[in-house]
Parts: sequence; structure tokens; C-alpha cells
Amino acid sequence: MRLSSIVYIELYKIFRKPRTYIAFGAIAAIVGLIQLGFYADGESYMKFGMQSLSDSFDVNGNIMNGYLMAFIILQTLLVHVPLLIALVAGDMISGEANQGTLRLLLTKPVSRANLITGKFIASSIYTIVLLLWMAVWALAISILIFGADDMLIMKSDMVTQILASDVMWRYVAAFVFAALAMLAVSALSFFLSIFAENSIGPIMATMSIIIVFTILNTLDLPIFNMVKPYLFTSHMLGWKGFFDVTVNENNEQITGSVENLPAVLLSAGVLFLHIIGFLFASILVFKRKDILS
Amino acid sequence: MLLEISHLTKSFGSFTAVDDLSFSVKEGEVYGFLGQNGAGKSTTIRVILSLIRPTKGSINIFGMSIEKEREKILQQVGAVVEKPDLYRYMTGYENLNVFARLSNKNISKAEVMKCLEMVGLDKRANDPVRVYSQGMKQRLGIAVSLVHNPSLIILDEPTNGLDPQGIADIRNLILMLSKEQKKTVLVSSHLLTEMEQVADSMVIINKGKKLVEGRVNELLNPDKVQLEIITDNNALVKSLLANSGWAKGLRNSPDQKVLVDTTAEAVPLLAKYLIEQNIGISSLRSMNSLEAYFLSLTSGNEVE
Repeated sequence: MRLSSIVYIELYKIFRKPRTYIAFGAIAAIVGLIQLGFYADGESYMKFGMQSLSDSFDVNGNIMNGYLMAFIILQTLLVHVPLLIALVAGDMISGEANQGTLRLLLTKPVSRANLITGKFIASSIYTIVLLLWMAVWALAISILIFGADDMLIMKSDMVTQILASDVMWRYVAAFVFAALAMLAVSALSFFLSIFAENSIGPIMATMSIIIVFTILNTLDLPIFNMVKPYLFTSHMLGWKGFFDVTVNENNEQITGSVENLPAVLLSAGVLFLHIIGFLFASILVFKRKDILS
Repeated sequence: MLLEISHLTKSFGSFTAVDDLSFSVKEGEVYGFLGQNGAGKSTTIRVILSLIRPTKGSINIFGMSIEKEREKILQQVGAVVEKPDLYRYMTGYENLNVFARLSNKNISKAEVMKCLEMVGLDKRANDPVRVYSQGMKQRLGIAVSLVHNPSLIILDEPTNGLDPQGIADIRNLILMLSKEQKKTVLVSSHLLTEMEQVADSMVIINKGKKLVEGRVNELLNPDKVQLEIITDNNALVKSLLANSGWAKGLRNSPDQKVLVDTTAEAVPLLAKYLIEQNIGISSLRSMNSLEAYFLSLTSGNEVE
């Protein structure tokens, strides 16, 4: 049976399930609330944030613009999106086992490897569609509401100004990177889903792993420092690297530059390897699994 | 042979669910797979369908090994394992369409609808499965197994949870598939009466082991019967019957009934004789030999 047919059927099942739309609703609601909050009270918030800066610089223009809003939203939301991803990816196999439909599926002439790959591709498409949805809300609607201008990013030790004409491609790259990060979460959740017979287990396990790995990342102990580069959670926020701009000897930003592109690419590579690793592990385990549900 | 199971064993840790089981199903017959709950029927069916791997033994369907040619074989097999669980958030039509697409054949909308009509669900095709009754789900499950026009149909306890009318509908459907469409059907059940009415051949298993296999009309020999008698003096009854010449076997059941192996013609004579001997008979029940055998298994008492 053709893989494309399995992907089509799996997508049909995903988008016929009411739970699929929880994530879309949640993202629209959260982003909408943030936008509403900034629309109503953004000026005073920005004044407070810019207090130290306006003592030394003359800041003009629309600082509270759509680009900055999208950055704030991404920074806030990408930490929570894994839960929404796991809602669907963690249900892909365990949900079928729980309903009892897995055994009926496997009485059909579909190879187990194809079924798993098809389901994996379908859950990945869902993840990407969810991120696109987030991009529309966080970026497009923010620009519609707040307008577009140069982007000021405040960090603990510096402020970066990115020209408006140099921002959009960075967002495209950031969303592609974020998609990789979320696909790694999706792949982990999907893999865990093979071992469970209800979707709560894989969803909780995915979140637990992310929380534990994130805590490990924050602990500056030699024993943990050794493993940190191999944890996918260490690389999930690599999208921010696209907003670090290189400056020349006159301290002027170089349009189209990324300060540490090799680090960003390395993070993307680690995430990609995790995705492939989880997929192959899923196929291997599922091919040998006795279907007892 | 269309389906051949040879020395099949399936163990889960130290528990052996199927133990050296062998039987074969001929093309075109309805084959009954009989055993009490937990006897190993569903495990065997799962191994046949490659849902679980055997510990030992082999399974050949259409002359091919299920382990080596799984997809090729399953194109010609339709099955419902245990209860037919379907996608509750989809309609009956959508469910059937999803499984039809997975069958690797071009199945038109008309064919899907025809299949729904065959199981009497065409008028409820657009209702969500969550509102279906148990019987409707069972029929939709059978439709899923039939939609790609397979040669071999495997139904695991298809009448479980159905009312008498539902059971009769499923029975008629199995007979129609066999007689009119010339399908081979392997149907499992824990009810002998159900098997008697539809099966051409059958195998009975207990604790994963084969007890008996053969043609139903040979196994259910009407000449051999077992009488189950409850009287006010079992000891006297046993001594009278031991000398009567009618009893070919005689024993007490654990619940204080007298069990007598005899022939169908001897039953009225034997009853008349006991009454003439002033025995108070509370109950006298005649069972054919296989039914008696099966009941002794299901009550956990082996026949001597």
C-alpha cells in the first residue's frame, strides 16, 4: 500500500478528532489575549522597559510593533506548545490501542513500517500546520494590529536593533527552526505512544522528559555539562540565534547576518538527528510488538 | 487446505496460551473454532492474523507463510478480532471507507454502500458510530471485514453481546457468505449450539490444547446421547441401570446427578423402566455426546 494513502487516511483521522482543535483554539486564545493586553496597556509596559535606554539614547519610531510582538509571543509560547503537540502525537498509537482500532488496522494489508511512517508523517504535518497557525496569529495579525517597524530586542547586556527590511526572513528561518524543535517533541511523544494503551501516559511522559531535561540544562554542574549538548531540549530555543546580528568594526549591524550561524545549524542538526532517531526506534519497536489491545 | 495451523504454541512468560495446536480449514467451508472463554481462541486468531508472533509452530494461508507474506495474504483476508472497535467520532460510512482504503484495492463508494446494505446499516450510514448499538457495531465490524471482498473471513465471537435477533442475523449472514458467496469462514465461539447451526467442521480447544476436530455431523452423532438424571435414589438408579444393558457408561456428576451414556432409542425405554421401578425422577435431560463433552469441559469436569 502506498505511503501517501496512509498519510492521507491518518490526516483525515487527525482532523476528524475534536481534540485536534484544542491546540488551535488554545493558541488563538493565548496569542489573542497577549495582543489585547499589549494593545490596551503596551505603551506603559514599553516605557518601563525602555526607561534605562531612554536616559542614554533618543528612541523614536514605533517600538511596540508587530515584529516585537511576534518575538514576545514566540518566546512565551514555544515553551508551552510541546504540550499541545503531545496531545496529538502521543495519541497516534496509544489512542488506537485504547480504542481497540489498532488490531483492526493491522488486519489490513499494510506493513507495520509503512503504518508507523505514515502516522509519523501525519503527526509531523499536524505539528507544522499548528506552527503555521501560530505564525499567522503571532506575526501576521500582530503586524496588522501593531504595524511594522525596526525591531528592538532587549537582552540583559545589550539592545539589538534589526532593520524592518531585515526581519521577515529571520522569522521564516525562526519558524522553520521552531518546527524542527517541535517535530523533535512530536517524535518523542510518538515513540512513547507505542508503549502505552492510553494517551495520558505518553503526554505526561513527554512533558516530564522535557521538564527534567530543562532542569538539567539550568544546573551548572560538570556531570550534567557533559550530557547537555546531546539533549534535544538544549537546542530547542536555537531559533533565537536568528535574531543575533553581526556588527562590523564600526559597530554597525550587517544586514542579513547571523552572529553564530554554525551554532544554530549545529542545534538544528541535533534536533534533526533526534527526529530520525525516534522515528527509527518507533519502527523497530512497533515491528516486534505483540498487539494485545 | 486454505488455512493450515501446525504445532502452534504461544507463551506469555511462563503462561502458555496456545499449546501445540494444529488444525486446518478447507476452502469454502464454515469452520467452527470452539472453546470456553480463555481457552486460547482469540490468541490463536491473533497469531493467524500476525497481530502477535508465535512462540513455536507455523501458519500457512493460501499456501503462504503468514510470517513471510503477511501483506499479500491479508489482501485476501477479512477479520474481526474480539469486539469490533471502530472510530467513534466517524460515521459508519466513514469508518468503512477508511478501512476500505487500507485494503489496497480500488473500492468505489457504491461498493462501500453495498457492503453496508449487506449488513443492514445502509440507512444508518451517516450516523456517528458512537450512537450505534452493540449489534450495529458488530455488523459494521463484519462489514469492515467484508468490504474488500476477501476469500477468507475470520470472525472472533461475532455474536457476543447480541440479543437473539442479532444472533440470528449474524448466523444468517455467515450462512449467506458461505452458501451464496462461496467464502471460507473461520468463526470462533464459546457456544456449541451456535456452531452446530452454521459450521461444517469444527475444532474444540481447552487451555490452548486441541481436544477434538472433525465434521460437525460426525461429531454431533445423534445416535449417541448422554442422559443427565436427578432422582430420589441415585445409588439404586446406578445399580438398576448397570444391569439393564442400556447404559454404556455410568457415573455420578459432582453435583449429584447420574450421567448415563446410551443411545437415542434407549432413552424412552430407560425412562419407563425407572418409573416402573418406583424411582422418583425430578429431571431427565438428554444431550448429544459432543454437547455433553463440551459442557463437561466448560464446567471444568472431564468426562471419564
